[in-house]
Amino acid sequence: MTCIELQESLAENETGGSVAQRAHLRDCPQCAALVAELLVIACAAGELRACNEPSPRVWNSIEIALRKEGVIRPQHEVHSFFPAFTSMRTLRWLLPVAAALLVTAGVLVQQHLPSHSIANNEYAEQAASGMESDAALAGLNDDDLIQEIAQQSPAVQAQYTENLRRVNQYILDARSSVAADPNDEEAHRSLMDAYQQKAMLFELALDRSLP
Amino acid sequence: MTGRTIEFAMIGATLATTLMAGTLAAETHKEYRFNVGSKPGVSINNPYGSISIRPSTGNFVVINATLSSDKVEVDNNVTSNRVEVVSHLLPGADPRSGSIDYEILVPADASVTLHSSAGALRAEKLHGDLTLEGAGATVEVRDITSAHLRVKTLNGPVTLSNVQDGHVEVDSLSGNVTLNQVTGPRVQVISTSGGISYSGDFGDRGEYRLTSHSGDIEAVVPDSTSADVSARSVRGEVHDDIHLQPRQHVPYVLEKGSAFWGTMGRAAVSSTVVLRSFSGKIHLRKRSTK
Repeated sequence: MTCIELQESLAENETGGSVAQRAHLRDCPQCAALVAELLVIACAAGELRACNEPSPRVWNSIEIALRKEGVIRPQHEVHSFFPAFTSMRTLRWLLPVAAALLVTAGVLVQQHLPSHSIANNEYAEQAASGMESDAALAGLNDDDLIQEIAQQSPAVQAQYTENLRRVNQYILDARSSVAADPNDEEAHRSLMDAYQQKAMLFELALDRSLP
Repeated sequence: MTGRTIEFAMIGATLATTLMAGTLAAETHKEYRFNVGSKPGVSINNPYGSISIRPSTGNFVVINATLSSDKVEVDNNVTSNRVEVVSHLLPGADPRSGSIDYEILVPADASVTLHSSAGALRAEKLHGDLTLEGAGATVEVRDITSAHLRVKTLNGPVTLSNVQDGHVEVDSLSGNVTLNQVTGPRVQVISTSGGISYSGDFGDRGEYRLTSHSGDIEAVVPDSTSADVSARSVRGEVHDDIHLQPRQHVPYVLEKGSAFWGTMGRAAVSSTVVLRSFSGKIHLRKRSTK
């Protein structure tokens, strides 16, 4: 499959999950980036829709425009991207993309957390549940990751488990800092850094060269 | 030395020679040479084993591969101005038998991507874009100029030396990161639990951001440094042994011992330096003249 054929085939299967598409995407970083961008747009669009619902006409216009461009077919809806993340073993190549989505989703969710003061312990609970929902939004799950590593490379499972624990603590602490001072730009940067670290952990764990 | 000791020594030497000969016999060397244009792309993906990359003297790429066994082979693909090399693990390969060590020469302006899960990654004297990734890989980069340098590791340590005018991004979960004489318009290190050590003068008008969640951060600077430095650790200690002109307005409360913000040297040419940790210690100190 060539790059042009891949792009044309996205109209048929926008997740890039067919056998031929996966084979091409494994070897072509440009097309993989294109599909990743499509997924990010889909994820972000879903987020925005949930948080701040625009007029249905906006969505209709976007849908019409996408149909005209041949990017989507009428029978598919935007949220049909998400089922692609349910089968980790068959779609390993998509997980780095999902990791990138984790950062996007985390930041989007954080922007909608309450900015007024909350008792620290209360906030820690909210932060923990918020973190789980971030991961769920991005189609990622810590247990799935550890399970995948246990199957593929048990020798490094302990390393990844420990690093995952630490990076989750990083996210919790960064969230607490943002809650303590919502105007602190550095605290927001730290939160993004923490999500970036977690995304990288997923990327390294599931990249193509995992022994 | 008794006769029995000599006998044991001779048996040991014979066994060692036999084992070594067996290993050497299994190893094979292969060399590939590709002619390329200016600014070629070079990508090496090697699950097990080291990759070392240096500049060639012309527009060609030379790949010297030492294969540890017949359980692994070198796949290469050349398209337009891009060379891609992948270590192809065959059935039954393990970290020992699937290992390949690469010595690679590329044009100095090549855009290079190196990927290894466990081997050492080394690059020197290049000035194109450079990406080095590997979970447990030890990364060493030196004598790099005007490059966009990206490094990602899980627990592999990262050492960058003499990187000038670089756009540097280092991400490591738990590997220690050491920067010696690293300057550029943007230098960023993010770590979760690894320590970060910076030694140098922070250049002129650059933006330096060193952050770790629980790792310690240490910056050692010479007297001549000009930098606007802010340091803050949420639960760790913050120390500075250098006289800083305190900032008049800061966006947060500076608690003594956990944060400082001030300027050293000439403000007009100073770089911006942000050192941030949650539970690690932060220490800014002057380089010893001894």
